[in-house]
Amino acid sequence: MRPPPEMIEQVQPMIPSLRRYARGLLRDAEDADDLVQDVFERVLGRWHLRQAGSLRPWIFSILHNLAMDRLRQRARRGSAATLESVPESQLAVSASQEGQVEQRDILGLVQSMPEEHRSILLLIGVEELSYAEAAEVLRVPQGTVMSRLSRARERLRRMVEEGASAEGRPSLRIVS
Amino acid sequence: MTELPVTEAELQALVDGRLSTDRAKAIDAWLLDHPAEAQRISSYRSQRDALRAALDPVLEEPLPLALDLRVNERPNFPRHDIRQMLVAACAAALVFVGGAGGWTLRSWTAPPSVGTAALAREGIASYSVYASDHARPVELAADHRHALDGWFSERLSRPVSAPNLDPAGLHLIGGRLIATEHGPAGLYLYRNGAGETVALYVRPMDVDKTDRMTPREKDGVRGWTWADDGMGFGVFGAAPGNYLHDAANLVRRQFSPA
Repeated sequence: MRPPPEMIEQVQPMIPSLRRYARGLLRDAEDADDLVQDVFERVLGRWHLRQAGSLRPWIFSILHNLAMDRLRQRARRGSAATLESVPESQLAVSASQEGQVEQRDILGLVQSMPEEHRSILLLIGVEELSYAEAAEVLRVPQGTVMSRLSRARERLRRMVEEGASAEGRPSLRIVS
Repeated sequence: MTELPVTEAELQALVDGRLSTDRAKAIDAWLLDHPAEAQRISSYRSQRDALRAALDPVLEEPLPLALDLRVNERPNFPRHDIRQMLVAACAAALVFVGGAGGWTLRSWTAPPSVGTAALAREGIASYSVYASDHARPVELAADHRHALDGWFSERLSRPVSAPNLDPAGLHLIGGRLIATEHGPAGLYLYRNGAGETVALYVRPMDVDKTDRMTPREKDGVRGWTWADDGMGFGVFGAAPGNYLHDAANLVRRQFSPA
């Protein structure tokens, strides 16, 4: 089965953004690209089920659900990569410059957050989905999107502040 | 003036720039009197910006071939499991092979030591060795182009000439003969303005005399192989896959029988 031209035309422009969301969720670049390939497979198989006009949230929801499956598998295997065990080469940004250390750290912090917080920060802040689209991707009411977003941002803010006050590397303890 | 109370949802929408201009202005004014909230909003903005800055480089990364839908003429999705099933089913399927689907099964079942898969390995190895050789990447330089073409044509027993890859910004730097298990092969090296080297690898084929364009990748070297009328071709480099695909198409057009 090969992708129909229509699918190539509509999905191809989204690939960089799908890779970015996958990377934000899974952190590991290879794992993330592998996930995107799984997404293509699923999208191809369900292409006839797509609804006109809402392709982006539909594809993001497929990615999101497959990512959650992967994270659950990781957790079951106990192979969840902690920040310290992730080889440098797998980090999205090298730590060669000071500004980049901060960027890397924010990924580390977000990685240590619960999945529902991580995904909402990425979908709204990075992928710039509308609140309604994010609700569709996460299959929750829009009110839940708003309250989750608010809680996630506040939690991250406290983590960053606590890290800054602890000097040096941000602490990865989760503030609940 | 009567102001609607500011809600938490509105503060979030302010961070995301999703409020109407009027409401955003009103809330900005409100924040002037609420420094703690203002600081919170500013902190949310900077965490969002930091997150974007950390992830945006992904957008600039070249797309791996496996993730480029445009190059996946060959179904790339069904991976190992399905591939194995197909190989297993191949004996039965051979009866039906032919026509449009034939290449798929054949390219999966041909042993990797022959055909364009072997050509890909040889070409990638040659690229790795010679493209990185700054002292003497080629045996005959581009100013001996006719001698080079003549030499390749004689050794490969086919008319061969270096294609013009100007449209891809690639100019010939020269070539050399390569020894393979399948006899001699010709290697042309091209370079572009960015200093990237691209290899064109050619040799006659006993297996896969005609084969579709197939993406290849090994150890950071990418490229495309195909075969037409008993002649196998490979274009390899470290440049992005799309660029190499364009170069491969240029080569293929120039080698196609008129």
